[in-house]
Amino acid sequence: MREIVTIQVGGYANFIGSHFWNFQDELLGLAETSETNPAFKNHGLNMDVLYRTGETQQGILTYTPRLVSVDFQGSLGSMSSRGTLYNEAPSRPMDVVSWSGKVTTQASAPLKKNLFLQSLYQEEQEKMDTVNGFDSGKNESQNEIQDKDIVECLENGVQYWTDFSKVHYHPQSLYELNGLWMDGEGFDNYGIGRDAFVGARHGEEINDRLRFFIEECDHIQGIQFVVDDSGGFSGVAAEFLENIADDYTNIPVLLYSARNPRLHMTTKSQKQSISSSLHDAISFSRLSTFCKLIVPVGLPSLSKSKASRYLCMDDEKPYHSSAVYASGMHSISLPFRMEPIGPTTDLTCASGALDMNEIIHMLAGQARQNMVTILDVAMPAPSLIGNQLEQSLLENLEPLTPEIAENFEDLQAVEAMSVHGVLGTGLHEATVSEVKSAVQNAYEKALQRPRFSQLSVSRCPLPIPLPFPSIFGNLVGQHGELLGTPILGSPSRGSLDVHSIPMAARLRSSSAILPFLESRLHNLQRFGIQRGALGAELLRSWGFGKEELVDAGEALSNMVRTLSPYSEESSESDEVA
Amino acid sequence: MSLRVLNPNAEVLNKSAALHMNINAAKGLQDVLKTNLGPKGTIKMLVGGAGDIKLTKDGNTLLKEMQIQNPTAIMIARTAVAQDDIAGDGTTSTVLFIGELMKQSERHIDDGTHPRILVDSIEIAKRATLQFLEKFKTPVVVGDEPDKEILKMVARTTLRTKLYEALADQLTDIVVNAVLCIRKPEEAIDLFMVEIMHMRHKFDVDTRLVEGLVLDHGSRHPDMKRRAENCYILTCNVSLEYEKSEVNAGFFYSNAEQREAMVAAERRSVDERVQKIIDLKNKVCADNEHNFVVINQKGIDPPSLDLLARAGIIALRRAKRRNMERLVLACGGEAVNSVDGLTPDCLGWAGLVYEHILGEEKYTFIEKVKNPHSCTILIKGPNDHTIAQIKDAVRDGLRAVKNTIEDEAVVLGAGAFEVAARQYLVNEVMKTAQGRAKLGVEAFADALLVVPKTLAENSGLDTQDVIIALTGEHDKGNIVGLNHHTGEPIDPQMEGIFDNYSVKRQIINSGPVIASQLLLVDEVIRAGRNMRKPN
Repeated sequence: MREIVTIQVGGYANFIGSHFWNFQDELLGLAETSETNPAFKNHGLNMDVLYRTGETQQGILTYTPRLVSVDFQGSLGSMSSRGTLYNEAPSRPMDVVSWSGKVTTQASAPLKKNLFLQSLYQEEQEKMDTVNGFDSGKNESQNEIQDKDIVECLENGVQYWTDFSKVHYHPQSLYELNGLWMDGEGFDNYGIGRDAFVGARHGEEINDRLRFFIEECDHIQGIQFVVDDSGGFSGVAAEFLENIADDYTNIPVLLYSARNPRLHMTTKSQKQSISSSLHDAISFSRLSTFCKLIVPVGLPSLSKSKASRYLCMDDEKPYHSSAVYASGMHSISLPFRMEPIGPTTDLTCASGALDMNEIIHMLAGQARQNMVTILDVAMPAPSLIGNQLEQSLLENLEPLTPEIAENFEDLQAVEAMSVHGVLGTGLHEATVSEVKSAVQNAYEKALQRPRFSQLSVSRCPLPIPLPFPSIFGNLVGQHGELLGTPILGSPSRGSLDVHSIPMAARLRSSSAILPFLESRLHNLQRFGIQRGALGAELLRSWGFGKEELVDAGEALSNMVRTLSPYSEESSESDEVA
Repeated sequence: MSLRVLNPNAEVLNKSAALHMNINAAKGLQDVLKTNLGPKGTIKMLVGGAGDIKLTKDGNTLLKEMQIQNPTAIMIARTAVAQDDIAGDGTTSTVLFIGELMKQSERHIDDGTHPRILVDSIEIAKRATLQFLEKFKTPVVVGDEPDKEILKMVARTTLRTKLYEALADQLTDIVVNAVLCIRKPEEAIDLFMVEIMHMRHKFDVDTRLVEGLVLDHGSRHPDMKRRAENCYILTCNVSLEYEKSEVNAGFFYSNAEQREAMVAAERRSVDERVQKIIDLKNKVCADNEHNFVVINQKGIDPPSLDLLARAGIIALRRAKRRNMERLVLACGGEAVNSVDGLTPDCLGWAGLVYEHILGEEKYTFIEKVKNPHSCTILIKGPNDHTIAQIKDAVRDGLRAVKNTIEDEAVVLGAGAFEVAARQYLVNEVMKTAQGRAKLGVEAFADALLVVPKTLAENSGLDTQDVIIALTGEHDKGNIVGLNHHTGEPIDPQMEGIFDNYSVKRQIINSGPVIASQLLLVDEVIRAGRNMRKPN
């Protein structure tokens, strides 16, 4: 078993993370219940990779994500930053032992828990009551919260990422940046974030939190890092990553730099747009310096993109869009949790285990040292019946990475694909070998083939937890099968109608990413480096000197050069593996 | 108003409105922090929307917890927080001083004085006050053996404003001893060499100074000793875990033996490193009377832990980077980056190493060290918010002691300096000032009184009486401060109430700068959000 520590920095990253942990929690729950689908029961995944076992001071065992999350003060909504698991017996909060003088209490109005959180809380109370032998059945009828109402309330009222989180977090996990005195609006560029991390004692404290989780790991395989790179948090993350690179030199970092579709919609003045172009360029160049593999995700309008062909969502709501990215992240993380091949491995439920180092090495460490990869998903993935898969699995994979070239031929591409829960005949999950051969067939028929491709297959589909947005279109069935005729009634279907979906996701190292890189390089040169550049002053205020900028520009142009088809002397053999 | 032409949505506040917006913001912030000041101030309990509790009497912490939105208030708050970063204390005083300076200036501006004249004369008053501070300060002879009593008095003065007396007095000894422990002649004091560790356990009065180090992790092997005496300490930064080589080579084997041979070969280099440590242990611990502890900044994987445990070595992994430095200062020896050429000289020594377990949290105590130059303040408390509050207080206490040693001076407290400076300004400087410049000097002088006034107010005393009594004594030539119990003048020297020289200087320096800037604002333009919204 090789542990992964997850880090989430920034508001949108925490939205994604919240969905991600809901999936894990659902998987854990489904494995325990007896009457569920065998694919969930023996999912062949080792959850200890992501979770840690702990113990409270009272000796109660806990099982919590190995997670460090950083966000604004007040972004946790009605959840306490210390979680609820480790709370000591409720002492009277009013007695102040360290001061004998006057005490004033300034209480902000308690935030009301929404229906979903109320129902979670109730469930827990009941569990406790049954343990303690109380009978709580008498008022059940009036207090029972209907699942339908919960879904509806979440659909309309998610404000904080904690509003739909059903996971218990460790007290060391959630960190709030205080003393910034600004809201998301002002915290919008790299420079501000960097100052926030360096100033005050935030940096040290966040590093300590991470150390707590890493110290426990016997043999850590890597760090999975999600950052909301649309604002100051990319500055926070870059400084944090720099510390990680110093302290844990050999631990690879897989970085998802995510972005909320909502942000692309606001119109900006010229000054703002220069600032944001420069922010994009700088934050990308800084973030990519300190990680091993970077996956930019976040389409400007996810709801209209091809990736949401079977989905029906609202870009305005981070609750919606983050669910898609979280699903992709979940699929990519599956191979990290499969048991490696050995004498005891059960090949019937999963195959294609990889650790983080291997996947990074495969994608970024081959002949072309390209560390920027594209994330493609098929959500839901088509089933195997009627050769549907062979025709369409590859075509159904649509990118979640912005600004990439379409229909781009790249013979040097390297891919790592993770397919799970694909349906075979009779709406049962297809076996691993069926999926494998189907994918292989698909590749053989495909017009363009990558140079190398790795496939991981699991039988376990993506479970849809109750707090999941109603984003499925009316062509998606209960088990995520694609229907021929739309279901009449509502245009969108959520967790009450769809219980699980098959998923396919792929990381692709291809020169299709070139437009993304080129636009950043171009913006950096135009607004930052050139003589009399409009943004030079701004960059100076972010703390970048001339040399640093030139270095950043060079690093970016190196990235472009390794991928650019013109510069490459095709000296390497053109074999396709 | 030409801006209106450019952007019809822009909002413009003209001269007096802009000024009053700034003044009101400063006064508002002052009102919030006012009750914090002094040993009779009010502690604030902040309960968040999710029920999180924060307990604070520290202006710095309080400001950071407030979600300030008014731009003027943010400017003042930043100045005050910077004050804390530079001098380590005085946040509340800075805010009060700025607020009061604005308030005093408002009177004159309302009477028609131009802000520029005020600002210029405030500058004169500021320079005069700084000169006065140089004369007024009490020099402290530091030398090789600083006067412990005076350090204690300074620390006690600041701690008593944050914690109840008995605990403050207990912590006074702790912080003074901690700073003296890490102090090296001819070198700047690095407070990072005092580790502050906390445990949610027992009571606040169990807080103590550990001469040595407390680490927040323990050994990760069941067979390692939980307690050992007479220990050699090896501080190192060497990876003792198996890492797959960077080259993507798979395992090629056809039977179990080959596979094992492969794995063994891959592991060998790690094992060799472990063996070198074990060899050193066998060399120095031949007599069985000593123990051996390895504290590593990098990882140690289970097979290596196993080898070490079998050799009777206690091993801790992933130590904090800063603890590497602290360990060497506390135990001696040196931090090694490679196990090649290990000699007994690299080793440190500690009389006692033991582990303390609280739930899932482990603590390793390294105690009974020789000549420590690093130490740990172990804070205990029944709940998190109490611990956090004690921690803030300890930080302030440490800074106060450090400042005293570095300033080689202290200033009489309890408002004595402020009253003395005010009398100096009124009696001496006012006479030399020309014409309307007097106004700014007067405003500055009166603003200084905010400290004794607030101290009196917080103690439930009549401010007028107190100020009259104090200025009366000062005019007689007695330097007195305020006794917050009785309201009578006292001699702070006798009572042992001293403030930091650098804190006072910083307040006098930065307060007027920001106040002047705010006073000179004659137009506020904002396109976008409504700024008249009350905050």
